[in-house]
Amino acid sequence: MSSRDLDAYRPGQATGPAPAQLADVLERVLDKGIVIAGDIQVNLLDIALLTVNPRQLIASADKAKEMGIDWWEGNAFLSKGDGEGVLEQRLRRLEDAAGIEPDRAKRASLRERSGE
Amino acid sequence: MSSSAGAPAGAQNGSGWYLYGVVAAGYSPTGFLSGVSVDPAHEVEFLTEGSLTALASRVSLAEFDEPSLLERLNDPAWLEQKIRAHEQVLERALGSTSVVPFRFCTVYRSEAELRRFLGERSEELEGVLRRVEGKVELGVKAFVDRDRLALTLAAGDDALREIESRAAAAEGGRAYLERRRAERLVSQELERFAAEAVGACHARLLAVAEEGTLGPRQSAELAGRSDQMLMNGAYLVRADERRFEEAVEDLRREYAHLGVGFEITGPWPPYNFVPREVGVS
Repeated sequence: MSSRDLDAYRPGQATGPAPAQLADVLERVLDKGIVIAGDIQVNLLDIALLTVNPRQLIASADKAKEMGIDWWEGNAFLSKGDGEGVLEQRLRRLEDAAGIEPDRAKRASLRERSGE
Repeated sequence: MSSSAGAPAGAQNGSGWYLYGVVAAGYSPTGFLSGVSVDPAHEVEFLTEGSLTALASRVSLAEFDEPSLLERLNDPAWLEQKIRAHEQVLERALGSTSVVPFRFCTVYRSEAELRRFLGERSEELEGVLRRVEGKVELGVKAFVDRDRLALTLAAGDDALREIESRAAAAEGGRAYLERRRAERLVSQELERFAAEAVGACHARLLAVAEEGTLGPRQSAELAGRSDQMLMNGAYLVRADERRFEEAVEDLRREYAHLGVGFEITGPWPPYNFVPREVGVS
């Protein structure tokens, strides 16, 4: 029953029952959904309800980054720190055409930073 | 968070009840969830209390109690397996009923405590169920090929073209400065475009959804892609509504030339459209 019904409104997965992206599952299951009576319970064994806040736990865990679980840290949009952006490439071509050595530009930048 | 040092040793061998979600009473399909649960030793059970049914399964507290959880959550394989099990249980229910999803690792110490929660919070939970009845959550993610977008935007921007040609004509330090200036301009232009596009797309989708929300963009590594996420939206949509997909299709057509693509995910249980907390007094 359910899988058919579900497939019927799986518009993004028309090609088959591909499992959802882990990132999409993580951000929902770990970060959304109802939490009962607060995230963190102190001295869990004294009380009836055990809930944890995995987000907080994971944020403090070493392996979180290895897994790439850091969506809540935000990410700089459209940032490109590796010098391989389209503009960088384009300018490198322009520099080549103009006979400017990139190293020269770098040295110029150092001079500029050290107070011209 | 305090440690649970000094916990009675016996508790480590006990079992608790893992709560996946709540549905309206009367839902108990046979053979529904064989083999899907966070603890393979225990299948999902339906615990009905008044007008509500909890989807829950027994779990070993040796595995799910806080001290163990702290370790397990550091184990990516364990985490993925349990998280996917949680999601699968709710997805299967979602195929035939409305679901109120609970957060990962909501564990009660006993069936009685879980039933008491259902009873005490029945009004609140019924209200949430009414809100999501007949509706599912759909995710809409937009991705952009930054380079392609930058080229397209730059091509139509006279100021930028002029600066770029100046950068090309300049030499040495002068070239560097012109270059930085052009980079800044492109970045500003991209940011401006992104803010406008996301606002416009979100508004268009809201018009054909019951509710909607924009979440944090996933990093490229997390999303497993080379292009960048522009938008990460979640929408509460009537399960029988088709205009929503049409609206996304329209957006696809309109934004294709800018290197922006759209993906729909789901249907999901309405994780983004239930209260964050229940039972906080």
